[in-house]
Amino acid sequence: MTSPFPDSPGAPPPPAGSGHTTEDLLSRYATGAIDGLSAWSVEAHLMACARCRAALSSYVDARRLARNRSMILVRTAIPAGGRVRRLLRRCGIPDHVVSLLAATPSLRPSWILAVMGVLALVVGETALTSHGWSGHGSSGAPWAKDYLAQWTLVPYLLVAPLLALAGVAAAFMPMFDPSYQLTVAAPFSGFALLLVRTTSALSAALIPTVCAGLLLPGPRWLPAALLLPSLALCAFALAAVTIVGPIAGAVSSGVLWAMPAVLLVVTAIENRSPLEIVQWRGQAACAALLLAATVVFFLRHDRIESGPDRFGIRRMR
Amino acid sequence: MTVNAGTVAVRAEGLSRRYGSVRALREVDLTLGRGITGVLGPNGAGKTTLLSVLATVGKPDAGRVRVFGLDPGDRAERVEIRRRLGYLPQELGYHRHFTVAAFLDYVAVLKEITDRRRRTEEVARVLAVTSLEHLAGKRIRTLSGGTRQRLGIAQALLGGPELLILDEPAAGLDPEQRLRLRELLSNMPGDPVIVMSTHQPDDVAAVCQRVVVLLHGQARFTGTPAELAATATGHVWTAGQRDQRAHLSWRGGDNRWRHTGDHRPAGAETVVPTVEDGYLLLSHRPSVR
Amino acid sequence: MPGAEERDDAALLRDVANGAEDALAALYDRHAGWLTVRLTRRCSVPDVVDQAVQDTFLALWREAGSYRGGGDVAAYIWGIGIRRLIDAIRREGRTTRWLPWRAAEPQVVVSAEDQVLLGVEHGRLGQALAGLSPELRGAIEATVLDGLTTGEAAVLLGVAEGTVKSRCYRARQALRAALAQPQGGPGTPAPRRQAWGTP
Repeated sequence: MTSPFPDSPGAPPPPAGSGHTTEDLLSRYATGAIDGLSAWSVEAHLMACARCRAALSSYVDARRLARNRSMILVRTAIPAGGRVRRLLRRCGIPDHVVSLLAATPSLRPSWILAVMGVLALVVGETALTSHGWSGHGSSGAPWAKDYLAQWTLVPYLLVAPLLALAGVAAAFMPMFDPSYQLTVAAPFSGFALLLVRTTSALSAALIPTVCAGLLLPGPRWLPAALLLPSLALCAFALAAVTIVGPIAGAVSSGVLWAMPAVLLVVTAIENRSPLEIVQWRGQAACAALLLAATVVFFLRHDRIESGPDRFGIRRMR
Repeated sequence: MTVNAGTVAVRAEGLSRRYGSVRALREVDLTLGRGITGVLGPNGAGKTTLLSVLATVGKPDAGRVRVFGLDPGDRAERVEIRRRLGYLPQELGYHRHFTVAAFLDYVAVLKEITDRRRRTEEVARVLAVTSLEHLAGKRIRTLSGGTRQRLGIAQALLGGPELLILDEPAAGLDPEQRLRLRELLSNMPGDPVIVMSTHQPDDVAAVCQRVVVLLHGQARFTGTPAELAATATGHVWTAGQRDQRAHLSWRGGDNRWRHTGDHRPAGAETVVPTVEDGYLLLSHRPSVR
Repeated sequence: MPGAEERDDAALLRDVANGAEDALAALYDRHAGWLTVRLTRRCSVPDVVDQAVQDTFLALWREAGSYRGGGDVAAYIWGIGIRRLIDAIRREGRTTRWLPWRAAEPQVVVSAEDQVLLGVEHGRLGQALAGLSPELRGAIEATVLDGLTTGEAAVLLGVAEGTVKSRCYRARQALRAALAQPQGGPGTPAPRRQAWGTP
């Protein structure tokens, strides 16, 4: 502690036995009882002297230091999600909602990979079969009239809304939430939680689905035309949940979509296009279903709050 | 409403619940006040059902419950109860890919702590209380069972609940961990009302101020652990050899046989009964109904 | 693996970049004290300083890999710290009314002994600086000593950016004027070029 401050070259070394003076300076610096200029010199010295830096620690309340320390260690332990979180926050989404999204099953990488995998299969299969068709010499008619070629789109038609439904089902089915009992016992509104999860699940499912649709041979409007059916299916599922419970709701919704598609295939009629499901009459039906389901859901949304053994059917006396 | 010495935090009357043909709870009455109450009973006795009703997670078929004077049947009051509650379910599942701190952060959001700074402070606080700070960054799937139980208690403590409901918190813990758990339960910050279920009488004897014995869905005893032990007074004796009519006998380290049963032979040397003896006798007696 | 006490700052920083929390804790134990004190001199609100300190070590946790090893670790930490302080002041300033952020500077005269220690007496620049008013000195401290931009300095000092620029200008004028004055008596040593203070 007796060496001169390095930034004053040529300054004479302080008189012997004045180590305490430097400590005195430090203490006055720490308590603010020092003028600005001397403080600058102290700070310049601090940058070079580890011992004086360490000595300053004793001037800060130990509990304050400990508290900041534990806060830092907790915050490092919560993966920030980095860019994704910051992007979401900049979109105005509050921070606690972002934390909830981290726990949503349908936003996990494994889930998204599975979705992409299914889509890749569907697209691949469609591409193969349509190549097969054209290899066998198609009728040469324009796409709109080429029903044979249109049948290759059936897998995609079938799968796309079901993927969206699966994502939403993962949002409300207890088996996908490992800490489901905590979710029920917590004051946070089950309804709000469901909305957050459903919205994020829908976006996560629809974006790859639409992209995959654009890759397919076929009308350009096809992916857009599947939006309304997807939304209608999900709304139906949510409404069904408030009536018959989570599992039955999800299953019934899936069946609702799969059945017409399967019927169409089974009763394959040469001059009917599978795309009729998503054309004007189909869209109108989906819009009506969406509207009705949304109304039912909002009327009965308080059923969502209840416990795992009874999903809102019976009331407590 | 803060709970002081005289007030009752939870009052349940005539709780009944059945699952199909099984009657899980039969007209159970329960009163919870300050301190730790143990719910003692074998597996299948209805402990989990009872605790889930108190935690507003399950609904009874019949009966009346009031938690802090609030009715869980009313939706708004139910949410208010949940704000003051901390619940550790029996088989809590965890998002295994989460880190300890991230999981606690998630549960803190579920407890409506929306401000991020407060949430971080709360997480840091419960980590300190349960001595889990050094594990804050570890993924849950790498934790041992005992540590996961501690994490379960930590999440129940978030938000400083006034009522702590712990379903078999000591399950799967080794002896040292059980002792640490007792230490933790005795030093709960904020002094909440605690109810914990267990099938081990010595857990009850160690830390509980009051005990409820649940057998086949019925509350067969309510009182202090000492009173439960006292019900076996005169029913525990030692002898030189085994007595076939006793419910339970074993030979101690001093080579004398210790018996617990209803038919003590006259003149046999009695022994001061323990909570286990009281519990054992109770479970051998037929139920009233 | 050596204990934390034996590893130097650069080694600790490398360990932090590799994800070792104990290295971050060790760095905290070494540097949080002086960082807190030094930041408190620029902003006397403890809550804001606490946020800045936390954000600093979090930034270290995330970006330790970008430390290129040039220069002192303490200076690196200070560079991060002062900018996190400014961010924290910006965030606070949005919600609370503007309060006096800086601790008031006492009119303490440094003893002759301390002046010798600090070498202040030796510099005419030092004397010239001492002759500046606290506001002008504050502007110089923020822009030159702490290396902030005028925008950042404006947040720290609680004034508009234009005010910072004009204060710096006036400070430079005053310094030039003070240094241009003819030398004092024979006992006065020649002025030295100091590291800072380049107008």
